[in-house]
Parts: sequence; structure tokens; C-alpha cells
Amino acid sequence: MIGSKRKGLGVITTAAIATSALLISAIPAHAEVGVSSSEIKLGITVPQTGPAATGYNKVAPAMKAYFAYVNANGGVNGRKINLIIKDDKYIPQEAINMTNELILKDKVMAIVGALGTANNLAVASKVQIASRGVPSLFVNTGYSGFADKKKFPTTFALFPSYAMEAKAIAAYLKENLPTAKTCVLLQNDDFGADAAAGFKTGGVTFTETVKYVSGTQSSATGQTWIGKFATAKCEVVVLFGVGTANAIALGVAAAGGYKPQWILGSVGSDVTTIKATLNNPQATALMNGAIGASWAPDSADLTDEYAKQFREINTTYNAGAVFDNNVMVGMSEGLLIVQALRAAGTNPTRKSLIAAIEKKGSTFASAGYSALGYSATSHVGQTGFWFGKYNLAGELKSVDGKYTMYTTDSAAGPVVKTEQKRLPMPAKGLPSN
Amino acid sequence: MHSLRRLFLFIISSLILLALSLKVEELRVYQGAQIAIYALGISSIVLLTGYSGQVSLGNGAFMAIGAYSAALTQIHWHLPLFVTFIVGTFSAALAGAILGGGAARLSGPYLAGATLALAVGLPTLANQFTIFNGETGLDYTAGTPPTWFGESFTLYKWFFWIALINVMLMMFFLRNITSSRYGRTWKALRGNPVAAQLSGIQVGGSKVLAFTISAGVAGLAGTLLGMIGFVGPTGFGLGLSFALVTGAVLSGVTSLAGSMLGAVVLVAIPELASVVAHRLGDTERVTSNLPGLIMSTLLILTVLFTPNGPAEQIRKHKARKQ
Repeated sequence: MIGSKRKGLGVITTAAIATSALLISAIPAHAEVGVSSSEIKLGITVPQTGPAATGYNKVAPAMKAYFAYVNANGGVNGRKINLIIKDDKYIPQEAINMTNELILKDKVMAIVGALGTANNLAVASKVQIASRGVPSLFVNTGYSGFADKKKFPTTFALFPSYAMEAKAIAAYLKENLPTAKTCVLLQNDDFGADAAAGFKTGGVTFTETVKYVSGTQSSATGQTWIGKFATAKCEVVVLFGVGTANAIALGVAAAGGYKPQWILGSVGSDVTTIKATLNNPQATALMNGAIGASWAPDSADLTDEYAKQFREINTTYNAGAVFDNNVMVGMSEGLLIVQALRAAGTNPTRKSLIAAIEKKGSTFASAGYSALGYSATSHVGQTGFWFGKYNLAGELKSVDGKYTMYTTDSAAGPVVKTEQKRLPMPAKGLPSN
Repeated sequence: MHSLRRLFLFIISSLILLALSLKVEELRVYQGAQIAIYALGISSIVLLTGYSGQVSLGNGAFMAIGAYSAALTQIHWHLPLFVTFIVGTFSAALAGAILGGGAARLSGPYLAGATLALAVGLPTLANQFTIFNGETGLDYTAGTPPTWFGESFTLYKWFFWIALINVMLMMFFLRNITSSRYGRTWKALRGNPVAAQLSGIQVGGSKVLAFTISAGVAGLAGTLLGMIGFVGPTGFGLGLSFALVTGAVLSGVTSLAGSMLGAVVLVAIPELASVVAHRLGDTERVTSNLPGLIMSTLLILTVLFTPNGPAEQIRKHKARKQ
């Protein structure tokens, strides 16, 4: 009897050990949220519908198309990237709700390319992605505050900040148009405030500063802006608004016969947005002769290896989408994300992903013309702008064939001029780092 | 119901909900906090419309006043969180008292129009004065949960607990005031203002009081919404005011208890729409219009079949059976 009990216990123990061993062997060595043996889940919040969707709604599908291309070529260390796109309508509360869904319901490994200053700030504060350890890679905003590593330890910027751009424009103005009566159009939020601080640091005094409330841009408000610029006899007008605002300013000015030298900020110079806002396919003609600042090549530049490769991928994997700067941004971010995931090791975790960008991020290939500034102490990406002139088709062309970068920081550092320098595009657009 | 028994019921149901929050997923806890806050917002309309017979399409504006006041006092004066809740509630109540003075002279569509103008106009003020920080809004925070709650007590459980306790306290107050002589006065006003006046009720004063309390309740709801969400103009737009009115109609404008049902619907519809839109292929036309379509259909069905709300319909059905 005792013997049979012992035998029974032995069977149970053996079965328990065998089951445990089976279970343990079934668990991957590094189980991370959003990472399985076959897939890496990422999430993005962008305005896919609503007033701000024009242009911006092309960024996420472009990124997804680039990932589809990478997946078709073996993925990242054998894992396919699954990008989940959420529409935040450009409303911060929606961004909070959608990010919650991505992190808590879809269980993504990281948020990538989240768009909008207010949205990213709201998410950082209320979802507290930093305390959750969720990486927010290459946010789609130039707000300089995201470079504060202490405040946003898991957030990485890609674009040069609005303050950097304003400082670069200030330096360009001093150099090329020192005596002109200069005026500026700014958005009345952190986007505009960041730029205003940069212009101030850059030492520019504007004859007229017009601030508009985001979302109120219309033909009627445009008449007021242009009226103010014309009354102040502005010879140079810096349009540092979003695409819809800049388009309205250009349209109203053209209708009224007002022709200053325009300088277009990089945020509001997207051709697709300008054409859609003015509901006129020929609207790019209004940009003709305007000076523009940009941190990357123009998407229409067929000689650029990045633009050329992305254009090819777009044709095959992003059916029907016209290749423009929004598509270029989406794919550029995708290229960086793939390099970051590869650098994070064969079994990437949220921690190893952040550590990889801090350690190796400055060596990643990027379409931007300035060096990436990622390090253990900096989450800043691109740091410089080049200046060119728009042609009739709305393409930004270098005046002398050179790409002189005006590189600076978001604080009081000087603006340094250097020739563009970047790493070559990885073979076939597929990182092998 | 005896007030002591009512108090006991409120405490028990609060404890059950708090305990439940420890067992469900974090996303559901966040949605739970949203439901509690929307229920309070809807209650502010139920009190005003269902009890005193006044129509307000602008309670979202009072929510904004509450949220902005609380956020500003936290940012500039570093007041403790619970004090900011009081500030938010009373600021909105003060605004309600001021507006109520004018509103007492208006009725029907004129009052609806005046409150609608408030809902449209007030959020835009945030873009006119730098103190409100424009579209970026204000960072109003409840901080992180105390460490002695343990690691498993997550941020959203913290949000839920704070929201629920505040909502239940305010609901208890509302339940008591509506069954007091003030509640009876408002009901008399709603039924027949002339008869109420002949019975010695001060029509103007009673209306202003209802408006003030309703605004204060909305102010607390707004403060809590700002705590878990976004304090900025887009957070308190016209859509919020309309959503609250819709929630009030869905839950039956005369039922405080039914406000929970309206709140559940408000939170559930976007998720339901997202699931359906996904099945239909996620086209822009579907995803952007489906939530509105579902909400409007529900609203029409409610008005047609249960004009006093499902809760009231069930109660009547039971009464008929007896």
C-alpha cells in the first residue's frame, strides 16, 4: 500500500518536472511585450482623418510600405514588422486614447513617429510612456522640448527643432537679406513659441509679427495677415506656419498682387498640402521663387540616392500614393527604426532598443543632410538645414548645386556652416548593421 | 430612501467598484474612470434639465472652466490635488451663478442658444491669453500612485480611484439634494412654473441655484477629465457638450442613476465603431463617420421608443406588471 502511494507520488513528480521543463522550453529566452519569434509589433498615432489629415495621412502608410518591403526581404532578424496605425485626428485626447490602445490592448513594443507637439506632450504626461519604459521613437515634431532627456527619457527626436530652424533662417537672413524689412507668420502655440525663441536668439527683429490660432486659418483670416504685412510694407515674409496656413497666405497674397520675398519654413512647405488646401493642382506656382529651408533632400530630387530608393519602394509597396515629402518622411523614419531594431540585438527588448540608439544611433544611415546627434546624453536627431529656391513645380532646388548646412542647437549655440555629409543609403534600402 | 441607508449603499457600491478595478485590465480601468467622469457630466445635465426644466447645451464649457482653474492653481500655486478639485468645482459654480442670473430670464430655445454660444466661444479664449498656453494646453497631473500601494497599483488604477471617490461623493450629494425640498421645488418648476410661483416658490432664485449647482458638478467632472486627459481647447469643444446631452437623453433625462448607462454608451461607441470599421476595411469615410452614425441612430431610437430612458421604461414596465 505504502509502496503504491510512493509510486503514485513518483509518477506525479516526474509528470510535474516534465511539464515544467516543457513549459520552460516553450518560453523564448527574451520575452518582451510586442516581440514574438515571428513578429515585432509597433504602433503609430497620426491624423488619418479630420482637418489636419491632408498630407500627414500619407506618413504612416508610407512607413508601413517600407516595413512591407523589409518584411518581403527577410524582416528584422527573421521577424516581420507589424505596424498598427491609429487615427488621432490631431486631437491630444484622441492621441491619449489611441496610445492607450496601442500599449495596453495591442501591446506594441514601441510607439514610432507619433505626430504633433501637443499630442506627444499630452501622451507623455497622461500615458506616462517613460515610466512604463515604452520607447517613443523619432517623434514627428520639431518641438525642442523633446530633447530634454531627463523629462522624456524614452523619446527620441528626428527632425531638427523649430528653434534650430528659426536660428538657421535668422543666420541666412543676416547673411543674404540684411537690410530688408522682414516680417513673420507664426502659429500661436508651442510650435510658434519654439520658433519665436529661435528667431530671438538668432538676433532677428521683425517689422511685423502675425500670430494665428491653430485651426482658424481660412481665407478670411488670411486676408487679415496679408493686410498687416502689406501695411507694414514687408519686403521679406517668413511663413513659419503649417502647410494649410502657408498655402492660404500665398493664395491670398497672389490674389491681392502682394509679392514679397517669401521664406517658407520646412513644416509648411509640403506641396501636397498646399495644392489640396487651395484646391488647385497648379498652386505650386505660387511657391516659385520662394526661399525654403529643409533638413533633407527634396522628394523630387531624382539624383538623390535616398529619394530614388524610396520612390522605387513606394511604387511597389504603397500602391497609388504619389511620392512626396510626406512619403519620404514616413520611409526615412522606417529606415531608422529598422536600423534601431537590428542594433538592439537578436532578441530586442524595450531597454535594449533605447540603449542601441543611444550607443549606435549616430552611425545610422539617414536621409537628412546633417549628422545624427544620438548619444548617451542626447536624444536629438538632425541638427541642420540647407536653403534653396522653389521652382514652378514646388520643388526645392539648390541655387548653386551645393547643400550648405546651417547647423546649430536649440539653445544659444552658434550657427555653423558646413557642407552636407551623410552616410550612404544601405544597399537596396535594406540595413545590414 | 433613508439617507443613512443611501450612504451605506454608496459606500458599498464604491468599495465594490474600487475592488473590481484591481482585477481588470488597465485599459478597462482607464475607461472605467472615463465612464465615472462622463456619468458625473451627464448628471449635471440631468439635474438642470430633468429636475429644473432648463436646457443647457454648454455644460462642456463649465467643465473647461473647472479643468483650467484646477490646472492653473496647481501649476502656479502648487496647491494639493484635492484642493484643486475644490477650486475647479467652485470656479465653475461661480461661472454658473453668473450665467444663471441671465439664464433665469431665458427659456427654451433662447436658453439653449445662449448656452450653445458659451460652448462655442469659451474654448477659443484659451488661444487668446498666453496663460492658457493655446492649443498645447496645460499639464494638470495627479502624479504617480503612492509607493505604499505597491507596484501592481498602476497609474490608471490611481486615476480611477481618485475619479471614482470624487464622483461617488458628488453623486451622493446630488441624490440627497434632489430628494430634498430643493429637488421638489425644481420638479415643481419644471412641471408648471406659473403654478410653482403661485405656490410661493421663488422661480428666479431656484433656477439660478439649479444652474449654479449644475455648473459646479460639471466643473468637478471637467477637473477630473483634465486629470486623466487633456486640458486644452480641443478637450472641451462643442463635441463634448453635445456628447453629454446625448448621454443624458440616452439615459433618460430625469434619472440620475441612468447617467451611468449614458456614460457607458459614450465610452463604448468609439471602440465599437473601431471594431466595425476594421471589419469594413478601415476606409476613411467609414472610420470618420461611423461613431456619429451609431450615436445618432441610438439617439433617434431612444427618442422614439424610450423617451424617458431605458431605466424609466423598465421601472414603468415593472409597475404595470404589479
